[in-house]
Amino acid sequence: MTAALEGFLQALTAGLLIGAVYGLMCVGLGLIFGVMRVINFAQGDFMMLGMYAAFYFFTALGVQATFGNAFGPFVAILLAGPVLAVFGYAIHLVLISHVSGTRTTSLEGEGHYAQLILTLGIALILQNGGLIVFGSVLASIRTPLSSSAWELGPLFNDISIFVNKARGIDAVVSLATMILLTLLITRSRLGKSLRAAADNPTAATYMGIDVDRAHRVAFALGTGITAIAGGLLATNYPFHPFVGVEYVIVMYAGVVLGGMGSIIGAFWGGMTIGLVQQMSTLVLPTQLQNAAIFVVFLLIIFFRPQGFFGRMVERT
Amino acid sequence: MLHIEGLTAGYSAIPVLNGVSIKVEHGQFVAIVGPNGAGKTTLFKTISGIVRPSAGTITFEGTDLLSVHPARRPHLGIAHVPEGRQVFPSLTVMENLEMGAMTEAGHRDWKRNIERIFEWLPVLAERRDQFAGTLSGGQQQMLAIGRGLASSPKLLMLDEPSMGLAPTVADFIFERLIEIRRQSKLTILLVEQRVAEALESADHGYVLEAGRVALQGNNETLRADDRVRKAYLGM
Repeated sequence: MTAALEGFLQALTAGLLIGAVYGLMCVGLGLIFGVMRVINFAQGDFMMLGMYAAFYFFTALGVQATFGNAFGPFVAILLAGPVLAVFGYAIHLVLISHVSGTRTTSLEGEGHYAQLILTLGIALILQNGGLIVFGSVLASIRTPLSSSAWELGPLFNDISIFVNKARGIDAVVSLATMILLTLLITRSRLGKSLRAAADNPTAATYMGIDVDRAHRVAFALGTGITAIAGGLLATNYPFHPFVGVEYVIVMYAGVVLGGMGSIIGAFWGGMTIGLVQQMSTLVLPTQLQNAAIFVVFLLIIFFRPQGFFGRMVERT
Repeated sequence: MLHIEGLTAGYSAIPVLNGVSIKVEHGQFVAIVGPNGAGKTTLFKTISGIVRPSAGTITFEGTDLLSVHPARRPHLGIAHVPEGRQVFPSLTVMENLEMGAMTEAGHRDWKRNIERIFEWLPVLAERRDQFAGTLSGGQQQMLAIGRGLASSPKLLMLDEPSMGLAPTVADFIFERLIEIRRQSKLTILLVEQRVAEALESADHGYVLEAGRVALQGNNETLRADDRVRKAYLGM
């Protein structure tokens, strides 16, 4: 009995920690897909680039030497965010802007067909380009923190919970990023104008908001956020140029689960996926982790099609 | 202030506007009336830059408006209160008003403007923290007008503020507009299907039919015109 309870609490803790990072990952796509309604299949590959950016900042560009093995990785990860945001801004400027924003009125299916093909193309280029540039060897951001743990407890009945130090810090960084982003979106003039541009692009233009620029800023923010989440994952999971494919489906599931258009929702969607994934290992073999995610996903969508935080009313 | 010359515009090969010329001078209240599909909304969208004209010129206070990016035009002092209100449903009433104040002038005059807007349209003050999508049609129209005023405009363009509203609500909104105009001396360009009310309060009117200016004049001339009396005023 005690062992089962301990296992349960341990899985719950692991789920919450990984869920916080999945949540952040989903929030990045939530900005692009949920709020701005741009289908982006390259989001997972943007995350892969974020992982490599953090990796090279850490190993090659002196962050490791300056900040050490314990905190260096997190400095590198926070640097990768803005770098990928600039990358996202450029990709939007050169490519995505032709099939999104104010251009969508003249395109079939609100530009979604064109976005699908374009971003799939970008994904393929990034994956294979990554293979050429980074090679196929598994990379990882090594920190001694990922092999040590804090012991919480003994709580009761001599039960202790172990929190992996790297994952613990990952979750804290993720939550802090999420709080900053939420403040930016809900409180700042910039955030409000992004929401207005998403709500009604034409009316936003009447307010003097440059809708295409608003879309570009949202795309850059979304890319940077997912890159930070990618870097955080990379402290625990080895990665390779094709790693994006494994995560992009999870990201879409998280955004839909949370409710289209809701940033907070996307975070809870990602959190749910993390929890289900870790908790399922208590009763199912590890290979069925992802199957468990999608069974739960289908159940939730069946009973609450608009997601946790989605609105039933369509936007005007 | 606003000079439109020979404007031709449309969505495909068939023009919706065909050589339309309209003038709005400082401090004037100009009304454009006409049946559905006459091109009134297209005219407004062309002024705001959502529709590109194929011919003609638009100048605003001496600036060639067609060479100004659509998102820059509100900053010159043109506020467009669009047809069907088009408030931002997932933003609160207050946030909608703040969006109106995205222009440089609106940002500068925010404190003074918000006081006046709440005085003219007190329902907005009562519902300031409510999501705009949950307001009634009449309240959304008032919010759209308030949002336009928050930009500190020189020219306020109103596209059918009575559309889809109960007659008593539409009357109330008209009464508010006249009061706002009396106090603010704002230049107003109004598009309206309620011809009698529109012509009654306007200094100058245009009748737009099938993309052309069919008639124009001051309100007495227009209201005395047989065609207007028969077709629009039901006399």
